[in-house]
Order: sequence, then structure tokens, then C-alpha cells
Amino acid sequence: MAARATVEPYRPDWRQGRVMSWITTTDHKRIGILYIWTSLVFFAAGGILALLMRAQLAQANEHFITKQSYNELFTIHGTTMIFLVVVPIFAGFANFLVPLMIGARDVAFPRLNALSYWFFLFGGIVLYLSFFAKYGASRSGWYGYPPLSDDMFSLGRGQDLWILSLHLLSLGSLLGAINFLATIHNMRAPGMSWMRIPLFVWSIEIYAALLVLVLPVLSVGLTLLLLDRQAGTHFFEPNGGGNAILYQHFFWFFGHPEVYVMVLPAMGIISEVIPVFSRKPIFGYKAIAFSTVAIGFYSMLVWAHHMFSVGMPNFLNVFFMLSSMVIAVPTGVKIFNWIATTWRGNLIFDTAMLWALGFIAVFTIGGLSGIFLAAFPVDWQVTDTYYVVAHMHYVLFGGSVFGIFAGLYYWWPKIFGRMLDERLGKAHFWLVFLGFNLTFFPQHMLGLLGMPRRIYTYQEHGLWEAYNLISSIGSGVMAIGLLVFVVNVVQTSRKGARAVNDPWLADTLEWYTTSPPPPHNFDRLPYITSARPIRDLRRRIAEARV
Amino acid sequence: MPPPVRRKALVLVLALGAALALTAVAYAGNGGFAPATPHSPNAKRINDSYLWISIFTGAIFVLVESALIWFIIKYRRRGRPRTAEGPQIHGSTRLELIWTAGPVLILAVIAAFIFYKLPGIQDVPSAKAEGGPLVVKVDAHQFYWQFTYSDGQISIDELHAPVNRTVRVDITSQDVDHSWWVPELGGKFDAIPGHTTHTWFKADRAGTYQGKCGEFCGVFHAAMKAVVEVESQGEYAAWLDTAANELGRGEWEGSCAKCHGLQGQGGFGPTVSNNALLTQGQSLEQLIRQGRNEMPPVASGWSDEQVQALLAYLKQSVYKGVTNGS
Repeated sequence: MAARATVEPYRPDWRQGRVMSWITTTDHKRIGILYIWTSLVFFAAGGILALLMRAQLAQANEHFITKQSYNELFTIHGTTMIFLVVVPIFAGFANFLVPLMIGARDVAFPRLNALSYWFFLFGGIVLYLSFFAKYGASRSGWYGYPPLSDDMFSLGRGQDLWILSLHLLSLGSLLGAINFLATIHNMRAPGMSWMRIPLFVWSIEIYAALLVLVLPVLSVGLTLLLLDRQAGTHFFEPNGGGNAILYQHFFWFFGHPEVYVMVLPAMGIISEVIPVFSRKPIFGYKAIAFSTVAIGFYSMLVWAHHMFSVGMPNFLNVFFMLSSMVIAVPTGVKIFNWIATTWRGNLIFDTAMLWALGFIAVFTIGGLSGIFLAAFPVDWQVTDTYYVVAHMHYVLFGGSVFGIFAGLYYWWPKIFGRMLDERLGKAHFWLVFLGFNLTFFPQHMLGLLGMPRRIYTYQEHGLWEAYNLISSIGSGVMAIGLLVFVVNVVQTSRKGARAVNDPWLADTLEWYTTSPPPPHNFDRLPYITSARPIRDLRRRIAEARV
Repeated sequence: MPPPVRRKALVLVLALGAALALTAVAYAGNGGFAPATPHSPNAKRINDSYLWISIFTGAIFVLVESALIWFIIKYRRRGRPRTAEGPQIHGSTRLELIWTAGPVLILAVIAAFIFYKLPGIQDVPSAKAEGGPLVVKVDAHQFYWQFTYSDGQISIDELHAPVNRTVRVDITSQDVDHSWWVPELGGKFDAIPGHTTHTWFKADRAGTYQGKCGEFCGVFHAAMKAVVEVESQGEYAAWLDTAANELGRGEWEGSCAKCHGLQGQGGFGPTVSNNALLTQGQSLEQLIRQGRNEMPPVASGWSDEQVQALLAYLKQSVYKGVTNGS
């Protein structure tokens, strides 16, 4: 190990400026930081779009926003949160952490890594510039079903730019995913067998594998849609012999695994945080690792549960109901193992742990409402209503975003070398936890009362209006909570306590190096003999002292 | 630690209590804790399935959340140093098997109930005693519903049906995807161009039921509503006889007025009440059949009689003559 190069590669002067060094960097840690910051900026943008929608829906018959703008808002909000926030911020975490966690010098293909980030950034810019196109941005929903997204019903260039943006983002994600796979498979430290890699790395392995398997299918669907719009083909146009449902199959064959792409890394983060702040090993390492693989596998067999109302043959409805229910089993295994990890522990409620426990509490609700949606006759009642909006936000906000914040509070000291403020962190958590439940829980009821999703206004008063108002108030509470996070980041960036190498007394290899790590990551590495090399080291040092 | 038996009993009581509470709320129906109060056998069976799933998910919810809160309280730090570790337990194969097999069993019980209810939800009853089901064809358009009855009558945005009679609904679309949904009479079925989906209902009570479009279909998605007027056999027959007289008005209100205003005064679309095009049959027919720019082809698939009915109504009730200088 001592033979590892610690000399920095030669860099000409023009690449050493404050800006140019970031633009030309191929260092996985810097690229990871670029990913994380860019995603957080898009998170703010997508959040503002959501607040505008909640303002419009706070009361019946409001005219705060026009119906055309409203349709752009929910289309770009959905596209942003999925393609520009959750997927890339996990790419950021993975970039920063995977090489450190497995004891590597960098990812397998550093320049390809830089390229994937720039594809992501330009994809995001294209999406937001499309607001300035004639007729505005895409307004056919984040899944862009034809015929509505065809040139006849979606005039202007907004839809084409949406397709271009998704193509760029997919390409970026695909390159990143290939890179992670190559890195995890080839660059693990001596002794780090598959049963000794951190559970977060397991989740990134499956995240990357799923992206490689399903993104090309999305690209095919989007390319055919673009040809229909621009080249006069009729792949999805029934009048020309095409089939509109075909697009739905393309889209959801990608779209459902995408949900797990967005949730598995969050689960990976939870699996790192819970044991460290319980002062115990993870309960059932193998069960959690294998359930990650199982979820990844089954996620590719459930896509048409998004299409129960299109009138598929009965045997297909039955198949997709059963496969969707099966996926609840490995998900349950994870939740039970996390709870068992806290059993008889020494639970330390630092902010990262609060987010992780909050994740378990709210993700459970999202998982259970999923069972109603899997039972297709019940789905016929609740699909395309606010019930689905509630369900997916419990999974993607209560799941992914809670996981992201757990990760940010946990690894912030390692990434930036400063501790975040715990008091502000706790205010941040409780405000968002409260605001989140206020916003999204009443939406279950709205859906059951019969409120379809994607309507820009409603005429009903009474309960409809009451639940909508509660939901809008909740979104405001959440926004305040997120502002507290911004304050926390700004304040601690100058005055925060300096982080030591291992402030949490954690288990995994990234805490072996300095905070922040040097460009070459490690001077030397211990031989890995378990999934918790740093704890092993602490014990050996303690024994040596005695 | 309390004796394990007492803890188990407590969890059980909590779970049962929650299940009961959920059941009560679900039976109350309204308030948003269960789908709309059903008025058709298929909708009723969907609500039964919803309730059945609620019992199990409610129990799991209480179990998971109370275990979580219990451990959070019981194993909190209490001033212990960070170096104080809990017992180094790495797992338990028996527990893993239990919490894998348990959910499988619960899901099997849920799926079995769905299969038991499914034929009564999905299959259109043969309704031999009534002489077979009535058939209504639903054509979804941007942004209105068109209903065609077995004797050729047509109505817009207003579906008429006799009470206690099985009605089969054949759904398709003339432009983009929509979804036919009357919560009290059953679930959603998409209207997709080039495909026909089917559902049915048998309303147990005369009255007006609200229907809406479930699938996002464009700028007036929120306005794409329908009502189902369920009436006695006599009233229904009488309505069928006079349906043709109302067609022109229905077409104007459903397919034109949502954008152009009830008096043609304009709104999302331009003012039309003073546009001479309203009196020029051929050009107008071409426009409404093919659409132009943001105006969808509202009349795609219309018969000549339908176009004529609209033209007659426009001349009679909408066109105000060309006003100079405006």
C-alpha cells in the first residue's frame, strides 16, 4: 500500500485557478461535491415550483396561476425532482464516498466521470431554459404520454427540449453508472470481499446496475416520441397505425426501476447511519444486502402496475399485482432489520440519526399505501388521484429526501471538514418532519374524496378545501425548515467546528482518512477483515493500550 | 424490561384497537378515509377490498411504528458516552425467516380476497332478467365526454341511465388519453385512442353522480367533468325521445363554451359570438373537425347530423352578427 502514488499529477497553471480547477477537475471528491451542490440548487428550484402549486390549490377557485403555467409547473417539478435532484445527488454521494469506502484512489474512469457531471448540468440547464420557448416548457406531465405529447397536442419546442434534456441526463447517468460498477467490481481494498463492503456501496451497486439496464429503454421511447414529433413517424399515433400504450410500456419499464434507483441509495444511507448511532452492528447484514439485490431484480417485473387502468388482459393485471406485492417482502425485511438494529443499542439522537429514524417512520406509510395501489381493483379507484400523489411523496420525499438529509448530516464533516450545527439541524428536522406530514398526509384523504391529480383548480368547498389548505400550510412549514438548513450551511461554512477524522466513531473506511480527505485519499490502508474496519482498528488500538 | 408476555399482549391490543378504529372510520366512508360511498355493486366490492387491505396494513403500521417508538424511548442514550456500545448482535436467521414468511402470508391473504371479489368487480353481469345490459359508448374528447346510446341518441357531458339496470360502458378516445371515472359507480378506465376499454355499473339509487377525467389530458383537464343522471325507467325513456333536441346545445356547452365562454364572449379561446365563420358551414366544419394551432379537433369522429345540430344551434343562439370596429 505504501507504494501508492502520493505525488499529485502535473497540472498546468491555467487549470489551477479557483474556477478553472473545478471546471477541469477529474477528482471524484470534487465531482461529487459539484453533483451535490448542483442537485441542491435544482432542489430549491423544484421546491419553489411546488410551493407555487400549493399556493394555487390552497383554496377553491383560485386564479393565482394560469392553467397553462400550472401544467408547466407540475411537469417541470416532477422532472426536476427525479432527474435533477434525487438521482444526481446520489451520484454525488456515490462519487464522493464509494472510492473512500472501498479504499480506492479514485473511480475507475475519472475523465468519463467528469463528462457525466457536465452532461447532467447541461441537461438541467436545457430543461430550465425551455421555459422561454414559444408556448413555454413541456406541459404533458413528467411521463409525457403521447398523444398529448405529440406535435399536434403539444405545440412549440418545450416538449422537444424536454426530450433533449432527458437524453442528456440519461447519458450522464449511464456513464456514471458504468463507472460505479467498474469501480466497485475492480478497485476494492485488499481483504474487502463482497460481504465486507459497506451496505451503502451495495445500494450503489444495484442503483448503477438498474440504471444501466433500464435507461436505454427510456432513451428508445423518447427517441421514438421525438421522431413522431419531428420526422412524421407514427410509432405512438393510432391514426397512422401506431400504439399509444406502447410508449407507456417503454416509459414504465424504465420508470418503476427508477423509483428504486431513487430509494435504494437512501436505504443504503440509513443502513450506515442507524448502526453507528445505535453503537451496534447492523442487524442482518446479509439479509439487507440480499434484499437490496432482490428489490433490484423484482423492480424490473412490476412496471405495468402503473397501467392497471389502460385495460390490460386480466392475466397481466394479476401478474403485476402479485409481483408488486412480492416486492413489499424484501422492503419489509429491511425495515425490520433496521428496527432490530436499534434494539438494546445506545441510541444517540444526533441530527443524522433523527433523519434516519424519521425515514423508517414515514417510509413505512408509503410502503403500506403501496399495497392498496398494487391491488388493481382498488387501484382503479385511487390511481391518478391525490392518493397517488401522497403515496409517491411518502416514498420519494419521506424516503429519498429524508435519506439524503441523513447522509448530508452524517458525511458533511467528511466532505467539507466542518461540523453542521446540531441545534439548527434538529430544528430543520422537526420542521420538515411536521411540514411533510401536514402536506402529504391529507392528500390521501383528498384522493379518496375524489380529487384527481394535475387539476389546476377545483370548485368543491368543505373538506376538499380544508385538506387542501392544511396541505398548503404544511408546504410552508417545510419551506421554513429547508431555509433553516440553508442558514445552517451558511453559518457553519465559516464558523463551524473543525471536523476530526472520525467524529461519530463510525465503522467504515472513509473515516480512516482526514476530513476533508487529501486528493489521493489514503496514505495507507489497513487489511480489511470485516464490514467494520474502523471499529476493528479502534479495538486493536484499545487492546494495545491495555 | 417488562415480561415479554405482557409486551406481546400490549402490542396485540394496540394492533387490534387500531384495526377497529380504522374499520369504523372506513365504514363511515366519507371524510376521505375510504373511497366514495358506493352506489353500484362493483364499487361496493372495491370498497370491501379497500377495507380488507386496511385491516392488515393498519395492524402492520401500528406494529412497526410502536416498536420503533418503543425502542427509541427505551434504548435512548441517557447520558451514556458515545463509546458505550450495545451488545454486538449481528442478526438472527430465525427472525429473518419469521419476518419474511409473515408478510408473505399476509399478502397471500390479501391477494386471495382480491381474487374472491374480482369477478364481481370486473365482469359485466349478463343481466338476463333485464334483457341484457344496456350499452353506452363513451367517446372522450379534449375536453368533453360524448355518450352514444344503443338507438343512436347522443348526449354531451351528461350520461342518462335507468336505475337498477346494468349498463355496460365502452370507452375510447378521439384524441389524447383520458380516463372515465365516476367514483360512486366504480373505478377508472382509460380512454385511449385506438383502444376500447370496458366497465359497467348498476346504480342502486336515482340521483346525480359526478364523473371526472382521471388522466391528465391538457389545458382544460380540470373542466372535463361529466354527470351521470340516474332516473326511473319512465323518465329515462322519455329523455331518450327528446335527446335529439338538446344535442346542439349540449355540443356548444361541452365542446365550445369551455374555451369560448357560454355566450361566445371569449375566455381561454377568442370571442366567437361576432365571428361570421359561425354561419359558414363548410369552413367551420373543417375547423372543428381538424383543429388549428391551440384549438383541438373537437369534432373528430362526429356524424353529419352532429355537425348540423351544432351549426343550427350556433345560428339560432350564439351568433350575434358581425360588430364593426371590434
